[in-house]
Amino acid sequence: MRVSGTLTARPEMRAIVLEASQALAHLDADRLEELARCCQSLNRTTNRTAASSGVAERTTLGREAEAIMREMEVFARVLEATRANLRVLRRLRDMRSEPSEYTALPGRN
Amino acid sequence: MGTINSAFNLITSALDADQSALDIVANNVANANTTGYTREVPNFEETSPIQINGVQYGTGVTQTGPVSVRDSVLEQRLAQQQQLAASSGSELGALNTLQALFTPDSGSSGATAGDIGSDLTTFFSSFSALEANPTDSALRQQVLAAATTLAGDVSNAADSLNSQRTALDQEAAGVTSQVNSLTSAIAQLNRQIQSNSPATDAGTLEDQRVQDISQLSQSIGINQVTTENNGLSITTTSGQLLVSQAASFQLTTGQVNGVTDFFVNGTDVTAQLTTGGGSLGGFLTARDQDIPNALSSLDQLAYSVSTQVNALNNAGTNLNGVEGTGTNAAGVTGTGTTPLYIFNEPTQVAGSAAALSVITTDPSQIAAAGFGDGTGDDSNAVALANLANQGIVNGQSPTGYYSQFVSQLGSTVLRVQTDNTAQNASVTQLQTQVNALSGVNLNDEASSLQQYERAYQAASEVFTILDTVISSALNLGVQTAVS
Repeated sequence: MRVSGTLTARPEMRAIVLEASQALAHLDADRLEELARCCQSLNRTTNRTAASSGVAERTTLGREAEAIMREMEVFARVLEATRANLRVLRRLRDMRSEPSEYTALPGRN
Repeated sequence: MGTINSAFNLITSALDADQSALDIVANNVANANTTGYTREVPNFEETSPIQINGVQYGTGVTQTGPVSVRDSVLEQRLAQQQQLAASSGSELGALNTLQALFTPDSGSSGATAGDIGSDLTTFFSSFSALEANPTDSALRQQVLAAATTLAGDVSNAADSLNSQRTALDQEAAGVTSQVNSLTSAIAQLNRQIQSNSPATDAGTLEDQRVQDISQLSQSIGINQVTTENNGLSITTTSGQLLVSQAASFQLTTGQVNGVTDFFVNGTDVTAQLTTGGGSLGGFLTARDQDIPNALSSLDQLAYSVSTQVNALNNAGTNLNGVEGTGTNAAGVTGTGTTPLYIFNEPTQVAGSAAALSVITTDPSQIAAAGFGDGTGDDSNAVALANLANQGIVNGQSPTGYYSQFVSQLGSTVLRVQTDNTAQNASVTQLQTQVNALSGVNLNDEASSLQQYERAYQAASEVFTILDTVISSALNLGVQTAVS
């Protein structure tokens, strides 16, 4: 991971975050579900690393996590915007499904 | 016979209605690639029933014209997000130019700021070098050269900021004509829509109005209010009327304190437009907030450094044995008649950066010695060198203050960049949804919303797991650092 004295973020971690933001922008649910599975696997790997690695590796992992905080911030904002859009769409659906105040008069054959 | 005629009429009207519906489908196909075209569906209406011997008979359907499949709430939400994305986009463009000015490798000549941080270090270090040999003319020359580079870079940066502000002012003013032409077009469309389709969807006219509103949203922050007979009023986000039914109200400009201000019906709405959104909002935020903030920090730096350096130099003795007119730390006032200044002495903070210059070309004017200590003394040079580490700029050292300024600028750029990325993603989502709505029936629309929910749920899961992974990774790093 150490390249010319500088640490770079674990490529898979960064790639997942970037791709998740992109997929969410395009509402690609299939891809996002795949990415969720990748994350579960990544989580297991990290837990194993935490249990078995030495000091140097743990420090590296910590720094790698720090390095993708910016991408995570973007992802969080996209998620927040999605939540707001979804709220609008849900209300729209609810409005449509509510009975109209001026329904057709009954009694017509 | 009456019954047969009725039956024929019923069949004929049904066939006519089917033919009209096929025409609408053909029109949808023909316009499949037309930008802004909204899919139309036929609207079938039951014709009045016929009563025969007290029994009602339905008489079939007629096609009363196409109805476009649009959702004004969704379109308004899209317009809102476009306003935000356009605003952060234009502000980001300006901030990137601003940040490039303070990037160390951009060079120290011409219209760039060079590396003011390293200029400051070099300038104060040149006094440290002079301490060793206060009478050395080469070392004195180095002090003047470092001062000249520092002053040149600071004043170049201020000039560039002022030029960028002027360019943004022109860009902002340029948006006005686009806004006015769009509001006039929308008012005209309102008139046509209200007279042609007061009770039904206006089809292509409505498409055109939606497109114009979308373009307007990218220029300026607006609110839309639907009025009777399919009319539409448009106001700025702070409530100034731009379009009311068939009338439009021009956005005008005028010069106030050297910059362009914006007016609607004689009211100055510049401040409201700044926070309102659209590219105009972004240009104005950069012009009236980001650049003035940067300029003000630079002015403070230039003012503090020049007044403090001048005050100390004026409280010492130059190479010719002439004392300054200032008072030293011991309370002794020099016997000189003319102040010994290195930089031009500013009278106020505002404008200090642009005006910063070195006013002496004579190295002997540097007062390295204290009062009455002989010209070989270095006590004043030591005091001048020590300024580098003293809180002389708003309580911070000059390099500390400058570093904080550059770092704050970087944070602002990142914040606006993050906003812009998220807002563009939101626009993409809504556009996808509008397009989906335009091409599906109501059942499919429900499944489209389900798809939206699914994407959101999956993304939330990705975020939660990543957050856990990152938190535990960060904790590992912290634990390691502590142990």
